[in-house]
Amino acid sequence: MKVPPSGGPPPISVRSLRKVFRQATSGQAVVAIDRLDLDIAPREVVAIVGQTGCGKSTFFDLMIGLEAPSDGTLRIGDKSPYHDFDFFRGRIATVFQQDRLLPWRTALENAKLPLELLSVPEDEQRKRALSWLQRLGLANFANAYPHELSGGMRQRVAIARAFALQPDILLADEAFGHLDEVTAAELRETFLTLARECGSTAILITHQLEEAISVGDRIVVFGKSAKRLADIHVESWPKSKYGLLREAIQATLQSDKPDVRLTQPPPPRSSTGERGPNERA
Amino acid sequence: MALEEHREAVPSLNFPRQTLVSLLVFAICWEALSHLSPYLGIPPFAIPGFLTIAKSVAHVTPIDIAVTLARVIAALLASFVLGVFLAMAMYRSETLDNYLHPMIRILMAVPVVSWILFAVLWFPGVEFRICFVLVIVCGPVFLVDMLDAMRNVPRELRHMMRSFRPTTPQFFRKLMLPAIVPTIFTSWKVNISLAIRVVTIAELVGAVTGIGHQLSVAQELFSVSDVFAWTVVLVALLFLLEALVAAAEARMLRWRT
Repeated sequence: MKVPPSGGPPPISVRSLRKVFRQATSGQAVVAIDRLDLDIAPREVVAIVGQTGCGKSTFFDLMIGLEAPSDGTLRIGDKSPYHDFDFFRGRIATVFQQDRLLPWRTALENAKLPLELLSVPEDEQRKRALSWLQRLGLANFANAYPHELSGGMRQRVAIARAFALQPDILLADEAFGHLDEVTAAELRETFLTLARECGSTAILITHQLEEAISVGDRIVVFGKSAKRLADIHVESWPKSKYGLLREAIQATLQSDKPDVRLTQPPPPRSSTGERGPNERA
Repeated sequence: MALEEHREAVPSLNFPRQTLVSLLVFAICWEALSHLSPYLGIPPFAIPGFLTIAKSVAHVTPIDIAVTLARVIAALLASFVLGVFLAMAMYRSETLDNYLHPMIRILMAVPVVSWILFAVLWFPGVEFRICFVLVIVCGPVFLVDMLDAMRNVPRELRHMMRSFRPTTPQFFRKLMLPAIVPTIFTSWKVNISLAIRVVTIAELVGAVTGIGHQLSVAQELFSVSDVFAWTVVLVALLFLLEALVAAAEARMLRWRT
């Protein structure tokens, strides 16, 4: 098994996606995702925000391919992550809320785990994993076990593990949510820089609006059953109006209806040299 | 917590003072009884003194110890391999689990003596009989322990692993088996103790070598000192095997410290 050749990430297309679960105890059907339509362009960084139980994590599992859609389609390029599960080996990488490191492996061994699964030669595994650990500031901790590292350091190892694959699609589920604000901001910045360098499409699931605004090219706001309430291109909003944007998203989440400020064109940039979107990162 | 850590840190062969005192008290009582037995109406052979027991220990035949040890180790290895592979298959297939689970429960409920009698009636070869009894008794214990441990591997880790799309052998090799290593060692300790007891009974029936056979001979000769000597050997063997497993455990699980 070799690392698949990659000509850049394919577009993601979601059409009338529906996911229904049946409750084990009552047998009642629960609609987690109801007719979601979404397109994500290659190399886009999309933040998906929504309240707890809105279907964000179900969407994450469908993207990974661990769950089958009940109806509709989710395609990455012309393949389905569920039905063409093996095709995406080495092409999709994930970072979870908890680091999910294997406690019996050192930081280096954890970082090279996905490369082992791809049967990359041992020397190459080591070289690539070490280089990512170095980039994440963990060169001196390569031989440390997870319990010897702080929460932030462990999450860095988890990020190194994901980037070691240099995947087409990077998925992060509340990846920085449990860290203190300083560490989280630092890691968000690193994650964004590395994702752009790798040319990966990144999808971040979060309930933190600050995180969504600071990281995403786009913010997709999920209402109940993953109903798409708003789809915001952050670059069209001047930085000085981010406070307004945050309030509008907050109001949308609370009312489960698109806030009027998000349905109108974004406020114009001020003429005082407002920084453009590409200067954000 | 501190107490648990202390207990874990104490090597199994490190005898605390209280153990030595209790052993010494037992030895004194035994020796006293062996001298007083004629006055208590107990036959002199029933409670031999330590000098007599020491003579019996000196006559212990290493070949019988080696044979019993070889039988125990071979059967435990076979039981372990069988248990692990069946546990992996049952973990993967709910249908197989549903079919095999009741059977395993029944196997575990059958008394050891019944298995020995079945073995004697079914199989002509002594070695096969002994191996059959050991595997049929220890195999299900390994299987149930391994299956339970696999099911207790945190869902988050299984989810993470599956997100990287491993093949089935990779899933078990990289995640499940390393994750259940602590249970593997615990199960080995339990099964060593079980196997030592079962092999002795199995060797009593039909075997012409091994510790069980020697115990049978000692019983026919009314030699309590020989029974005592072979029992001491069995207990020492058990402690030795447990100490070896504990040493391997400490080495393989050093990431926990």
